[in-house]
Amino acid sequence: MSKLFLAGVAVIFFVGVFAPLGTLFVRITPDGFAQVVNSPQFSAALWNSISTAFVATVISMSLGLAAAWCLERTNLRGKNFFAVIFGAPMLIPSISHSFGLVALFGANGWLTNILSLDVNIYGALGIVAGSVMYAFPVVFLIFLSVLRCEDGSPYLAAEVLGVPKFRRFVDLTLPYLRRTIVSTFFAIFSMIVTDYGVPLMIGGKTLTLSVLLYNKAVAMADYSSGSVLAVILIVPALIAFVADILNPPPKQNDFAKNISLVGRSSSCVVEIFCVTLSLLIVAPLATFCVMTFATKYPVDMNWTLYHVVRTIHRGALDNWFNSLTIAIVSAVVGTIFSFVLAYFSTRMTGLAAKVVHLLSILPMTIPGIALGLGYVIFFHDMPIYGTLGILAAVNVMHFFSSPYLMMRNTLEKISANVEAVGKVLGVPRRFIIRDVILPKVRFTLCEMFAYFFVNAMMTISAVSYLAPPAPKPLALMITQFEAQRLMESAAAVSIAILLTNLLLKVLLTRLESLRYFSLAAKKSNQKKPRPQ
Amino acid sequence: MDFQLKLVAREISKAYDKNLVLRRVNFDVRDGEFFSILGSSGCGKTTLLQILIGLLDADDGKIFKDGRDITTLDPARRGMGIVFQNYALFDNMTVFRNVAYALQFHDVDEVTARQKSARMLEIVGLSEFASKMPAELSGGQQQRVAIARALALEPDVILFDEPLSALDASTRLDIRRELKKIQRTLGTTMIYVTHDQEEAFALSDRVMILNRGVVSQIGTPEEIISSPANDYVQSFVVDNLQTKIDSLRRFLT
Repeated sequence: MSKLFLAGVAVIFFVGVFAPLGTLFVRITPDGFAQVVNSPQFSAALWNSISTAFVATVISMSLGLAAAWCLERTNLRGKNFFAVIFGAPMLIPSISHSFGLVALFGANGWLTNILSLDVNIYGALGIVAGSVMYAFPVVFLIFLSVLRCEDGSPYLAAEVLGVPKFRRFVDLTLPYLRRTIVSTFFAIFSMIVTDYGVPLMIGGKTLTLSVLLYNKAVAMADYSSGSVLAVILIVPALIAFVADILNPPPKQNDFAKNISLVGRSSSCVVEIFCVTLSLLIVAPLATFCVMTFATKYPVDMNWTLYHVVRTIHRGALDNWFNSLTIAIVSAVVGTIFSFVLAYFSTRMTGLAAKVVHLLSILPMTIPGIALGLGYVIFFHDMPIYGTLGILAAVNVMHFFSSPYLMMRNTLEKISANVEAVGKVLGVPRRFIIRDVILPKVRFTLCEMFAYFFVNAMMTISAVSYLAPPAPKPLALMITQFEAQRLMESAAAVSIAILLTNLLLKVLLTRLESLRYFSLAAKKSNQKKPRPQ
Repeated sequence: MDFQLKLVAREISKAYDKNLVLRRVNFDVRDGEFFSILGSSGCGKTTLLQILIGLLDADDGKIFKDGRDITTLDPARRGMGIVFQNYALFDNMTVFRNVAYALQFHDVDEVTARQKSARMLEIVGLSEFASKMPAELSGGQQQRVAIARALALEPDVILFDEPLSALDASTRLDIRRELKKIQRTLGTTMIYVTHDQEEAFALSDRVMILNRGVVSQIGTPEEIISSPANDYVQSFVVDNLQTKIDSLRRFLT
């Protein structure tokens, strides 16, 4: 049974990850490699990629940490509101962020016109700004949870000992965050450098490696050069992976347990910072709404449904159904698969469990842009090619590691003695899983489902190679509409994706607050009573 | 022989990665006896307990229960129960369902299961908490639920793995008294793992002292106190131990 299971996992990872990636490496010849690397485009793109990604990483890390600190360590009012706003950019594709900047600061942008601005957003400046928008919510959420899990008692001691506030941050908070800062830095750098959505739209003449790869592989179907670039783009992700392994996350505590005694304050600086940040995040989203429903943004602002109807006629509704199908299938299959592997790797012992764990965190190292190219080459002549199935499959593998780690984290908190009790009482393992484990992890299951769904809904990286011939996901229409200068439709599609993801989040929150669903949780977690 | 032997362990050995944690351990537990396994952390006492109940396989040695070889028997078919230090309750189920849950897997009809569970809750003094969730109970109450859950299948041997370590002093006293009561009324044999010598000596009919996987001494508390077998055993026999045990024992009756 166990052997059969392991064989199945091995086959899935071979077909879903190793074989497609392998085909990339197989395609690379020394000549081909030299040709790509020695081209004048390459060295410029390499420099542009590294410099913009580095600056954007530093800025988004600073802003994300500051925002998380404001929400976790001050008495700021409206924390829930800010948390929703700060997380919202994660619900739309990266390409929408640069599109939003274009709508605001572009040649015909709203703010450009109103303020008679003379900034050139197309280029390195735009890439950095768009990448910051793209990476900020991820950094914010990472630091939010890490700050929440810090042990609060040293702060209590520092307070009693009269250590000034700023020194507490420097001497306690920063050392605690050091590991997280290091591993997040590499992860975010890799995320930005492999994204092509932002630089494609706003890069102008500033070419990056990811756009070069996109142009070669998607536009020109030059898979040989594409493979070389894809493999080069795996390098930062590999560094991030190693940094992550060398920097295990800090031990989990509950800061709030002690914090009530620690003097917290909220200054107007904190408020101004959070409000400004919110405005910056909401501005492009609001502009999308205006563009979608105004007759001719920014000239004629009269309300109309004309653009919505036109966008639907251009196939947005069909593609929305495609995306929804892909997202639901990826979420269902991905959640089940990552639960099974997380259960196996936490509840079993020995080499098999370690191998399963290593396999499960491996997809983290593979940028979607590389995985997608591998899929195109490997699956080209197979029946699954050109179906929704392959899009769902590439999403499951691409986004597998994070939900797997969420479940692993939850399962590790459940005593292994639960299964031991089951064994002694003669309760078969499947009943312990059904009656004890699954009810305990249901909130994590919801989170995992949402992660797969939202990412499948907004991703443009791996899927860009596979569609067409496969049915097109909605997010890819933004690229298409932008290329056709159909700005209103691109805005409408961004809004549609945002609303779909928001709707899913709301539905899951409703589900979690259902009586049956929350009965035990409410009683075991008195701090956060859920509304009936 | 004067006593009927309930459980016999012969030449039990166990190694983790060449690191020997149990070395040819031999002991007998009498029927209805309260038998403690005492040792400092890392002495192999928890490993021994897991081997006795079948959660872990010994590398060597045999276990007999009522004269029958149970060395390779499935844990659920050994007629033994176990109570862990961290309770390991099913915390999405009510107290009552925690106790009743396993009965459905043992050909017990529903009416009998309900009666049995109610009785077990009565024995541990939690009848009025039947419909509560575990998270609503104190640590001591939760451990009582775990005890009732173990009792529900009517095992004739119950193993305890440091069951009171996470509880405060007065709750410990209460539960010790209840354990002794259960031992007397149900005649259950109890094997009790602890690192607390006062607890072991006050509760037990006999104590086995384990040092780095080797049995140092087995005997009644009085035998051990009056003639400790070696320095390790001597280290447990601290000043005034007899006085402390006597005062603890007064609470147990």
